[in-house]
Amino acid sequence: MAQFDALFQPIKIGKLTIRNRVCSTAHAEVYATDGGMTTERYIKYYEEKAKGGIGLAICGGSSTVAIDSPQGWWKSVNLSTDAIIPHFQNLADAMHRHGAKIMIQITHMGRRSRWDGENWPHLVSPSGIREPVHRATCKTIEPEEIARIIGNYAQAARRAKAGGLDGVELSAVHQHLIDQFWSPRVNHRTDEWGGAFENRMRFGLEVLKAVRAEVGPDFVVGLRICGDEFHPDGLTHEDMKEIAKYYSDTGMLDFIGVVGSGCDTHNTLANVIPNMSYPPEPFLHLAAGIKEVVSVPVIHAQNIKDPNQAQRILEGGYVDLVGMTRAHIADPHFVNKVKLGRVDQIRQCVGANYCIDRQYQGLDVLCIQNAATSREHLGLPHVIEKSSGPKRKVVVVGGGPAGMEAARVAAERGHEVTLFEKSDALGGQISIAAMAPQRDQMAGITRWYQLELARLKIDLRLGVAADAATIMDLRPDIVVLALGARPFLDQNPHWGAADGLVVSTWDILQGKVAPGKNVLIYDTICEFSGMSAADFLAHKGAKVEIVTDDVKPGIAIGGTTFPTYYRSLYPKEVVMTGDLLLEKVYREGDKLVAVLENEYTGAKEERVVDQVVVENGTRPDETLYYALKPGSRNKGQVDIEELFAMRPQHSLHESGDGYLLFRIGDCVSQHNTHAAILDALRLCKDF
Amino acid sequence: MLDVILPVLVLGALVLALVGGVRRIRLWRQGRPSPVALVPGLAAMPRRYLVDLHDVVARDREFARTHVATGGGFVAAAVLLILVHGFQVESRLLAWALIAASIVMFAGALRVAARRRNPPARLSRGPWMRLPKSLIAFSSGVFLVTLPTAGIVPAGFGGWLIAALLAAVVAWGLAEMFFGMGWGGPMKHAFAGALHLAFHRRPERFGGGRSTGLVPLDLDDNAATLGVGKPDDFTWNQLLGFDACVQCGRCEAMCPAFAAGQPLNPKKLIQDMVVGMAGGTDAAYAGSPYPGRPVGEHGGSAHSPIVLREGRALVDADTLWSCTTCRACVEECPMMIEHVDAILDMRRYLTMEHGNTPNKGKEVLENLAATDNPGGFDPASRMNWAADLDLPLISARGAAEVLLWMGDGAFDLRNQRTLRALVKVLRAAGVDFAVLGNEELDSGDVARRLGDEAGFQALAVRNAATFARYRFGEILTCDPHSFHVLKNEYPAFGARYEVSHHSSYIARLIELGRLPLSDWAGGRVTYHDPCYLGRYNGEYEAPRSALKGIGIQVVEMGRSGFRSRCCGGGGGAPITDIPGKRRIPDMRMDEINETAAEIVAVGCPQCTAMLEGVVGPRPEVLDIAELVAAQLVAAPVSVPRQTREVAA
Repeated sequence: MAQFDALFQPIKIGKLTIRNRVCSTAHAEVYATDGGMTTERYIKYYEEKAKGGIGLAICGGSSTVAIDSPQGWWKSVNLSTDAIIPHFQNLADAMHRHGAKIMIQITHMGRRSRWDGENWPHLVSPSGIREPVHRATCKTIEPEEIARIIGNYAQAARRAKAGGLDGVELSAVHQHLIDQFWSPRVNHRTDEWGGAFENRMRFGLEVLKAVRAEVGPDFVVGLRICGDEFHPDGLTHEDMKEIAKYYSDTGMLDFIGVVGSGCDTHNTLANVIPNMSYPPEPFLHLAAGIKEVVSVPVIHAQNIKDPNQAQRILEGGYVDLVGMTRAHIADPHFVNKVKLGRVDQIRQCVGANYCIDRQYQGLDVLCIQNAATSREHLGLPHVIEKSSGPKRKVVVVGGGPAGMEAARVAAERGHEVTLFEKSDALGGQISIAAMAPQRDQMAGITRWYQLELARLKIDLRLGVAADAATIMDLRPDIVVLALGARPFLDQNPHWGAADGLVVSTWDILQGKVAPGKNVLIYDTICEFSGMSAADFLAHKGAKVEIVTDDVKPGIAIGGTTFPTYYRSLYPKEVVMTGDLLLEKVYREGDKLVAVLENEYTGAKEERVVDQVVVENGTRPDETLYYALKPGSRNKGQVDIEELFAMRPQHSLHESGDGYLLFRIGDCVSQHNTHAAILDALRLCKDF
Repeated sequence: MLDVILPVLVLGALVLALVGGVRRIRLWRQGRPSPVALVPGLAAMPRRYLVDLHDVVARDREFARTHVATGGGFVAAAVLLILVHGFQVESRLLAWALIAASIVMFAGALRVAARRRNPPARLSRGPWMRLPKSLIAFSSGVFLVTLPTAGIVPAGFGGWLIAALLAAVVAWGLAEMFFGMGWGGPMKHAFAGALHLAFHRRPERFGGGRSTGLVPLDLDDNAATLGVGKPDDFTWNQLLGFDACVQCGRCEAMCPAFAAGQPLNPKKLIQDMVVGMAGGTDAAYAGSPYPGRPVGEHGGSAHSPIVLREGRALVDADTLWSCTTCRACVEECPMMIEHVDAILDMRRYLTMEHGNTPNKGKEVLENLAATDNPGGFDPASRMNWAADLDLPLISARGAAEVLLWMGDGAFDLRNQRTLRALVKVLRAAGVDFAVLGNEELDSGDVARRLGDEAGFQALAVRNAATFARYRFGEILTCDPHSFHVLKNEYPAFGARYEVSHHSSYIARLIELGRLPLSDWAGGRVTYHDPCYLGRYNGEYEAPRSALKGIGIQVVEMGRSGFRSRCCGGGGGAPITDIPGKRRIPDMRMDEINETAAEIVAVGCPQCTAMLEGVVGPRPEVLDIAELVAAQLVAAPVSVPRQTREVAA
């Protein structure tokens, strides 16, 4: 048997044949705009997956069926109007052209939303109990509203069918309206819609009946449920098996999607899209448990990222289709690369959750390591074509994310590329981030670049701190500086960085400075680095307090990742303190005294510790840039009008002696991994 | 004095030659009966020799001229010698003719001697090293003894000593040429070769024809051994064919398994069959051995097993399993010997009587028995590769212009790309085609080459029955092995259809202008001929013409066309997997790399798999269908034709 044959067995869902077992499950893309209509961007994002060989994509996580379930917060698809139908036709054509199938998730979110926008609706829920994640309140739903919403579901399904989509998935997961009725925790009703099992099931059953009656027997209708809510008073796995069997036995369902964990608290929400701190497929057993009791195919996603893993799961018969949703955000050509035997070329999702954490902030879904994802409509390519223009000598300085991407893209274009990295390994700040507990998978980003740069046979010079002379010796046509940055500890001279009173999170994570016993971390950034340093130090046995002048340490980390930090930090008794500014640090005997000032009262307090770590972002490394700038043809300037429009730099077409000079990433000003890779891709794709 | 000695010598040699010939014929007749057309065969023999055989010999122009001089001179000289000196026919004219013939032969013999001074490795030594001297002795002896007969020198010239010397030289020549012909010397090849041409088991090969399909075994004959277990299990004319071998080693020079250091040398194999037929050991064999197997350790007789389960007999089993059935030896053999048929006959015995198919062979045959495909895949999954293509099933339509035979490549991820490309091409050309879907079974090629004739026949009969249920114009396949089997081996089972390889079908589509194609802008391309398309079916042009049709100028390899080297994937060789010093595909890739091509175009799933299995750096391996599909441009939107007004 072939290594990945289980992936490539077609499967029938209802009357529909899916060409393989790999799918992308419903997630909010956050760019169905203009009243929830799918855009060109939306279609191109999905079409890329179809081109890449995926079997099935279920789009439109939490796409709304009714006008009192707001879509505007996450710009999900709006199925409450017939205006969506022609948009669906474009989407369906784009997918079918490449042999993939496309369905959409439809839902009424009930209480799980915000009321303060769009139509300013009163949210509805079986018993009017508020949901914590959205800080929203709701009313108790009335039977008339129940009847209307059931009708809304049917009409939404009709629109999906009229638009040529292959099916709909009813969302009864994540505490949407259907599973709000299921849950005795939030359904306290005593009428026919609450109480006994049959009564709690009624709303979902009526929805299913209405939808099936509207779309007929041949259109695929599925149901997405959770495998266990993981709430002390929530629905257990056994409850969910009973529910799944109940709906499967109606004969009206074509498939069931299973997600482990409920998500109406911050902590359970983190389970739903397991980040890199989770083991592979942590909730597969729940999906497999559901599969035992139902008679329709079962789909399961959650930390399935690797083709071997997918093969093992399918071969074992745990589920029928593997959802590889983030895997496809990182690499929409995943399936074709498996088919072509180019597994090493798959850009594997590392679980950084940049995608989903942006979504929970209402921002468009992007990938930390693949800048082309969600930018297909702008012309950012997933497959870099060879240049038909002149072959250039490209020198890239700096082996962090910006430099690695620049070298990769330039090499794919067919140029002769030399990459200098002063340390003895690629990765830059990614390597530092990967030193923290539970963050080691960040290094997966570098691993892919290492393999790609080796495959592309670039001239890689590790351990060489290139200066202007070294670079000029290579007679480059283009020099790309991606030198990165250094920790910005000297912003406040009173911190005493010059006297070694404070050290950086880099020093700690890289092991350049031994962990203290009693450590104060001062973090003005509130992202990963401060929390990672705290986790690292606590893990080494230090007593740690992390202080910020912001609201709370880690506040800028997205919704699926701060909970996993908290899970690690609280048991180690790390103290997290907000609203305190670090005024100064001084030495007293063998101790350090940190003077903190409360932002709102001005009150000062002191901490006596033996180590002060400051995370205050970075300053760009500009020396080499200014050394090379005068000699360059373009004086180091990037034409941002062309850059932002994804067009080639004018300077590339102008002839003349000497080199072009560009700088990208943190050596311009502090951004992040995604931004560094984006800078490199959009600049170098036209070299 | 010569007047007395010569007739005795000549006629004595003639008698001994006849006795030897009869003895030889009795050796051949140990084989199984095989009906042949005696008189027409003999009548056709000269033409077969002068045209068909010489076409092969003439690939080496220099040696062809040498052989014409030597062989032609000898035949003429021998006949005249018998008349002039044997029967003392008094004729100056004949004597002069004999002198002329001996001069021509002498000239040829000198060239033979020159070649033997530093002979290439493929040529056998031993008695063959003596042959040029014997040729010179014969021709010069005959020349000298005929000088008086022609009246050039007086009779009795030189006295008895000279006469005795000359008689001795002539005797040497006669011993080699007449006696040796019948008694197993190098000149045996002339006698056996002539009869072999007359009674060849594949007479279709003469006159420019081609006959490559295996002959079905009669499985209903309960008395007969299945296949060949002992030399006398061969048919008599096969044994005769072995005897025709001149040990020129052209087969050895072409054999991929020999070059790879696997224990096979086609020349040695034929000689071993000769040893077996006559009884004895291979100790006298003076050519290249089977790589890694010393000469002198094997032997047997006509009635003893060729291969022993344990220990040594005439040949070792792995010699037989090393063959890729590429037919390079057969194609190159000037005596038109059928090495592959012999190997397949012996494999049939090993598989069906011994149940001894090595390595993965047994598993593959069991898979075929259980699932009708060699990979053991779920037989209901044959269409998985096309789940998203919505291919028309012929069972749903009853008829189609073209029946697309998918082959077992349908189960293979790599070949699925070729199949998908082919479907894209067919659709672009608007071809009316359908597939059998899960009704298709393996063609039986692998079973047959692994010696499982019964397995093959079962598959062939069932596939033929499936074909018979539908109407279609032709069968199209991208697998040359299926192509060969369906085209050449299925007619014996009542399935006679037009069968096309996709390269010729695509070439036709291009020629008819049915494919909208853009111009090739890629790099250098070389083309690797699949054995089962090329040597088995003579199709060398169509793939090149298809490639030319998309603007590719093929950079040819040193070995291409009928001399193309096998990829190592045929005949079940990757399954039986006999170790050698190198891998055949690695050697082939070296030849591909010599062309500095960026792409090697192929037309066979086996070749693709074998060549892609070679460790880089190497060119990309792409099927012709993939190359053509990549050049397809979206068909222009058909705009209603407008009548153009011609300005008055």
